[in-house]
Amino acid sequence: MSLLQVVARHATRPWTRAFASESLPPATSGVYKVFDRAAKRKQRDRAVSRDAGVGSRTVDYVRDEVADRMMERLLDIKRKFNTIVDLGSGPGHFSKLLEPEKTRKVLMIDSSKTTLNRDRDEEFEVEVERVHADEENLLDVLPRNSQEAIVSCLSLHWVNDLPGVLVQIKEALKPDGLFLGAMFGGDTLFELRTALQLAEVDREGGISPHISPMTDTKDISNLLSRAGFTLLTVDIDEVRVGYPSMWELLEDLRDMGESNAIVGRRHFLHRDTLAAASAIYKELHGNEDGSVPATFQIIYMIGWKPSLNQPKPLERGSAQTNLKDVL
Amino acid sequence: MQTAKTSTTPLRQLALHSTTTCSSHATIYGKCMLAAYTDVRKDSCKQEFEKFGQCLREAVCLPRGDKESIF
Repeated sequence: MSLLQVVARHATRPWTRAFASESLPPATSGVYKVFDRAAKRKQRDRAVSRDAGVGSRTVDYVRDEVADRMMERLLDIKRKFNTIVDLGSGPGHFSKLLEPEKTRKVLMIDSSKTTLNRDRDEEFEVEVERVHADEENLLDVLPRNSQEAIVSCLSLHWVNDLPGVLVQIKEALKPDGLFLGAMFGGDTLFELRTALQLAEVDREGGISPHISPMTDTKDISNLLSRAGFTLLTVDIDEVRVGYPSMWELLEDLRDMGESNAIVGRRHFLHRDTLAAASAIYKELHGNEDGSVPATFQIIYMIGWKPSLNQPKPLERGSAQTNLKDVL
Repeated sequence: MQTAKTSTTPLRQLALHSTTTCSSHATIYGKCMLAAYTDVRKDSCKQEFEKFGQCLREAVCLPRGDKESIF
């Protein structure tokens, strides 16, 4: 009898506790899961397949712009590489801009096969190799200490374990190897986030996540140094795009493959809430000409894998010139 | 806007009418939310939304022939 009671107690405990804690299954890797990577891959696959890629190509503007600005930063680095790894390359927004003076070859890695192969027929100026692999398990495809440079243009915002991926990037690099990245910052799509939140509160009396939690700018340098990078450069930039209304923004985001992929997200938005959000978006953030803006905040980051022959900052207090005299 | 006009999926209809046919009601609702946005709770702008919603329902549910005569 007593044994039965013990068994019964053990059997019921996890069941009742499931109500109290979050309803998600415990993450197997020990990392808290924010994003549904499988859903994200499907969304990106579909975005490229829709209308034979016409929609997907139409909405390249954000990524092309950011790839362009990231290329300026790469050109500032006076070094020629043998191979550059483009992590989360998509169809190759950044890789397309690479020139033979900068690298011999580019290795594109992406978790969505159709996105990766979208522009297979287009001419790239350097040799291209495409690898279909998950960015979260980078070390499965790249050996440690093997790469001269790894770049990532707007793909790290769907990664669950950002500190872990940064560590993997550092591990895959050779000493004195370069990491150059661009990712969406916390202010990205704040207009849409606020409009949807206000609409949900007013119409339904509660809110649910529709826009991803994105990395705060001030956390990035901490993350990079925690991952073991040195000589860090982090800067922020914004790309503001005007749309006729919220509806075109939503459609473009979908075609970019950037639909909501938060674990436990609601899979629909009530049409009343959507209509309310579009009205609020316009009044709260709208431009004078009737269009609405959408902000994409971009964090650019540069880090180097430590090496013995790297320039190091001089010891504090060892300067010969007073900074006051220079400024 | 071109895409909104040339398609007739329910969502596109909603997009179209919320920005054209019912834009005046949308503005009234939006202004109400703008005035209240520091302290929004459920149904803060209920009356304003009801008019907006009513307008949308009428616009979206028009029979096909009527719809074509409007645009």
